[in-house]
Amino acid sequence: MSNESLAMYRSVRATTSRTSTNFASPIPPSTFMSLVCNVITNNLLGVFCIGSALIITSCPIYRVPNRARVTAAADVKILNFRPRFPMKFYLLFRKSFPCLPFLLKSIEIYRAPLPFRDIDSLSGSIESAPLAFPCQVNKFTGDDRLDDDEVVDEYLESALRGSEGCGYGGKVYTVVVVKRDEEVRAVVGKHRHAWIVGRVSEVDAVEKVAEIFIRVFVNGGKEGGVIPGEFMPVGADGKVVLSFNLLNADPDDWVYDWDFQKVDEILLTPVIEALGPVANISVESQVLYHTPKSSFSYWDGELESYIFSTKDLPFFVNSNEWHLDTSIAAGGRSKVLHVVVYVPSAKECPLLLQLPNGEISRTNSFISPMWGGVIVWNPPGCSTNSETMHLLGNKISHQDLEKVFEVFMGQLRQLFGLKSNNLYLGASGTFVLLASERGFTEWELDVLSRQHTCFNLLSCATTLGSLSRLVQSLPRMIIKDEIGKQVKFSLEAANLAQSNASLGIYEASAVSSRQARSLAEDAFFHPSIMSVSYYSFEHCFAVYSPFFLPVSLHVILAAVREWRRFKTEQKKYVAWKTKDGR
Amino acid sequence: MAFPRFAILFLFLLFFLSQSIGKEEEFSEELLLKPLPDRKVLAHFHFQSRVPPTETHGPHHRLFPKAIYQLVHKFHIREMELSFTQGRWNYERWGGNDPISSNNAKPPGVELWAVFDVPQDQVDASWKNLTHTLSGLFCASINFLESSTTYSAPDWGFRQFAGNLRYGTLPREAVCTENLTPWLKLLPCRDKAGLSVLMDRPSIYRGYYHSQRLHLTSTEFDSTGLNMGIVLEQTLTVVLQPNNPGNSMTYSSDSTLPQSWSLSSLFGRKVGGKCVLAKSSNIFVQLEGDLVSELNSRKKENERDDTDNLDFEGSWSNFGFELSVSPDSVINEINSVHKGGPSVMYKFLVENYSDSKPFDLGLMWKIPVAWSCPQAPLQDNRFLMGSGNERGAIAISLKPIKQSEGFQTPDINNRDKCSFHVNVFQVVPWYVKVYYHTLQIFVDGKPQSVPDVVTKMRVSPSEDKVSPGVMELALKLPCGIMSAALTLDFDKGFLHIDEYPPDANQGFDIPSAVVSFPDFRASVNFLEDASSNKSPLLVKMQERSPVLSYTEVLLVPLTTPDFSMPYNVITITCTVFALYFGSLLNVLRRRMGEEERLLKSKAAKKNEQFPVLLSKLYAKLRGRPWEPPQSSTSTSSSSSSSSLLSSKLLIKVVLVAAVAAGWQYYSR
Repeated sequence: MSNESLAMYRSVRATTSRTSTNFASPIPPSTFMSLVCNVITNNLLGVFCIGSALIITSCPIYRVPNRARVTAAADVKILNFRPRFPMKFYLLFRKSFPCLPFLLKSIEIYRAPLPFRDIDSLSGSIESAPLAFPCQVNKFTGDDRLDDDEVVDEYLESALRGSEGCGYGGKVYTVVVVKRDEEVRAVVGKHRHAWIVGRVSEVDAVEKVAEIFIRVFVNGGKEGGVIPGEFMPVGADGKVVLSFNLLNADPDDWVYDWDFQKVDEILLTPVIEALGPVANISVESQVLYHTPKSSFSYWDGELESYIFSTKDLPFFVNSNEWHLDTSIAAGGRSKVLHVVVYVPSAKECPLLLQLPNGEISRTNSFISPMWGGVIVWNPPGCSTNSETMHLLGNKISHQDLEKVFEVFMGQLRQLFGLKSNNLYLGASGTFVLLASERGFTEWELDVLSRQHTCFNLLSCATTLGSLSRLVQSLPRMIIKDEIGKQVKFSLEAANLAQSNASLGIYEASAVSSRQARSLAEDAFFHPSIMSVSYYSFEHCFAVYSPFFLPVSLHVILAAVREWRRFKTEQKKYVAWKTKDGR
Repeated sequence: MAFPRFAILFLFLLFFLSQSIGKEEEFSEELLLKPLPDRKVLAHFHFQSRVPPTETHGPHHRLFPKAIYQLVHKFHIREMELSFTQGRWNYERWGGNDPISSNNAKPPGVELWAVFDVPQDQVDASWKNLTHTLSGLFCASINFLESSTTYSAPDWGFRQFAGNLRYGTLPREAVCTENLTPWLKLLPCRDKAGLSVLMDRPSIYRGYYHSQRLHLTSTEFDSTGLNMGIVLEQTLTVVLQPNNPGNSMTYSSDSTLPQSWSLSSLFGRKVGGKCVLAKSSNIFVQLEGDLVSELNSRKKENERDDTDNLDFEGSWSNFGFELSVSPDSVINEINSVHKGGPSVMYKFLVENYSDSKPFDLGLMWKIPVAWSCPQAPLQDNRFLMGSGNERGAIAISLKPIKQSEGFQTPDINNRDKCSFHVNVFQVVPWYVKVYYHTLQIFVDGKPQSVPDVVTKMRVSPSEDKVSPGVMELALKLPCGIMSAALTLDFDKGFLHIDEYPPDANQGFDIPSAVVSFPDFRASVNFLEDASSNKSPLLVKMQERSPVLSYTEVLLVPLTTPDFSMPYNVITITCTVFALYFGSLLNVLRRRMGEEERLLKSKAAKKNEQFPVLLSKLYAKLRGRPWEPPQSSTSTSSSSSSSSLLSSKLLIKVVLVAAVAAGWQYYSR
């Protein structure tokens, strides 16, 4: 029964009772009883309606008070959050550069190209820089050795190490400008230094310095913004599993084996150590057989090899036959990156990948973001004479393995969003980026860990946002206290990460951001939510309808009767009134 | 005499093997084919992968499946066996005393047991994680074994020297290709090459018995030195009915002629060469000792007719049968303990064949023969007694099979002293409440006192919703008994409405009991020429595994509630309340005085009310406009007309009712 009809009925009843009391004439002497009956019926109807409404609304059960509001609030707060990483930059000018005015000028220049950073903190830290550097200038005397980049880099590292440790977690970025009579060279070192040598005018120098700071040190030499749309291939628990697979497409032709033990020990271990601050990496390997690719290549007579073009690349990975399983050793939230070394069969043996512009890929490999990479390795001498090859017991030679590993390092850097070559083409010229033997330079690792923190916070925010939307869209869902706690702790961790980041303590910030993300996902994937989200209103209806349907029938009937009676009484009253008036 | 010498030789062999198993990973594939007495054929695939220990070989492997290696290391597994089975092994016809049957005859559904190398308090946690991992790995609902009501920790009844053993079964698990595919994924060649090509899904699932098994032995965490690494043994045992239409037509009358078969008729496929990664790839055809001696005696009878064993076109002919491919070697059993005589193995090397020259072995019988397989000392059956939904009894009956009466030949003279041991291990779910004090044992039909027969007994009674009831019994039975039986009474429990599985009316399964005979060992020793390169399957058959057999799965019907009952209760209470409410409302709403007045005013017209209504209806039925009866005319006429009308109407109603009743009657 709708509420309007009820209200109407009540008002009507009220008028009736009023009429019956005021104009007492045609109504028989039992008016008092009739009035009582009327009132009781009305009250019953009212109580019934209120009660049914109450029961139906109270049917959804227990939920943690206000948790959804908290989540929503947090959501808004985090989404408004712009990552703000203060960094400390030193600018060292060598030979006849008046320092201070240029610094001020440089700050002005900075403002224009900054797309996303908070300028104030940046400029603030730069303004504080001059206090530290004058004491360092005198030590720098190695003018004659400026040709060898490696030596300079080490020299700068040893010379400038003393100036670090004064704040911001000991991470100070330095650019040294040396004015000499030679071609301008800008080099970014393996540590947190860069230097510009040569005939460089003041304006150019400042422009280059600005570009190094913003584009390279802050942004990692990438184009575009850091955060949106970019993903770090790191699991929610901060773990990455590198799963190496050697695929022998057809073992009837030849079977290749590799000495992965050695690769693991000699080549991979330093890289894993270097990436330690960003992700906890574990390595596993397997050799698979009978794993053809799923698309075909064509024979190119000129190149005397089989060509696989770029547009077919999505069909290279054959998920039916390549059993690159998810790892048992990895936890549920680890990210598995597959590295596939593909040994083609004899009937497609020198297999080359073709770039979109028609050239042949030099690395003979490709990556798939967030999944991993594929490297095609052609067995030596397969094109010349396959008869002489041994079937079993072949091993990929160590030189070849090193080559494969180099390609893999490039792929890994690309998967992490870094450049795989050592030249950066900026607006104000090219910069040489020195490559570290560990695969990742210190400033790149800084970029990665900042990016990781940002990504974690963002994903935490989106997860909590989805959770709050879910909770709000299902008002009759049970929310356990545990989920509320997880949300609360996740928010706390996110706030901590944020405040740590703004203080410049990156490591702590990364740790708590990771925590925030995993707690948020714990809350979202809590088993109790899954079952409850399917609780239906129909169930509630089915339980209560056997009572409410018959009762409402009685009530409605009674109401209709009363209404009819009122009508007749009214008619009588009007008739009496006209008669009386006449 | 001969036995100790052999034992020493065997030990030496084992030692030699353990030394010679080099620092390399190994994979081997083998297939054993065996004709069965009831015209069926047993096919037993045996794949073995072996990896040296991590200390010397490192964690990266060439052949060994990564998933299994990680499984062993994550859960510290010392030994594990997982089997998926469909159908029941016919112990009477297919044998119960050979290594194949005692290792590969498994209870229906899923059976999983594992020994962990972790401290005692972590075993349960490891088991739970293991079940979840395996259920993900094999696409099966093994994760139902996680609940403590489904698994048990047998002490000695299931396996001797079981340390941190956990054992669980799911009798109702269906087995299908989705379980086979992940199992095949663990093989280096999967089903792309080698013997596994034969596993044509429709053929192997059409069989009478299908059991896929994965056995894992690891010494990775063994502190006692001898580190052999991890051995993964994967077997698939199928019993197939060969259907060779031409053959069956010719000899349809002669039921004793065994069915001829070939690989292509059994599986619909041929073997096109070995898996290149396998160290050895062999196919064996085994003939039972009984069959061999039968053939020999028949051969002696008609020596004159059939002496020309011609070798033509590579086929190989015997007195009794003909093999389409000549075997590479014939291996005889040594030290046979069975009365039938030594059995014979024909070995075929698959490496000699290729895609262009596929291997298709055929076996053609020439004469009708009948034989039997070696039987277990006692055949066990388990059944339910009693009726009704309240209580019942479980009975396990042990009976020797007639053909194998001579199983204890050496002690037939001193029959009184001779005895042998039988272990019974039985897990019963908690809702079947077994009273262990009601254990009764009958030997040869006569009740015996329990301490006379039972030497050892371990019982852990079930706890409601926490743990199942476990019974381990060691019986000592005299030789030459004709029957033995044990019975246990039980009450059927009640489950909460949430705990019933879907389709609860089907009944509840009691998992198979395990009956083992520790005094008997199933092992077959084959004399092979090159002992250094022994086939893993033959080595496996030489192992002195205990003879064990599984009983039937019992189906206990429990009282199932009417699952719509809560709703019915709600409905009926609500109806009662609604009635009460409605009548109360009516009573309260009524204005008595007013209604009385109304009644009085109507009382005058009351008599006319009904006829008027009736005439209205009558008019409507006739389609004429209703004319109000003239009240001015005398009331007597109207009343008479109304009575006439009502009698007419009454007749009509009676007529309609009679027609309806007649219709009802005739339509039946």
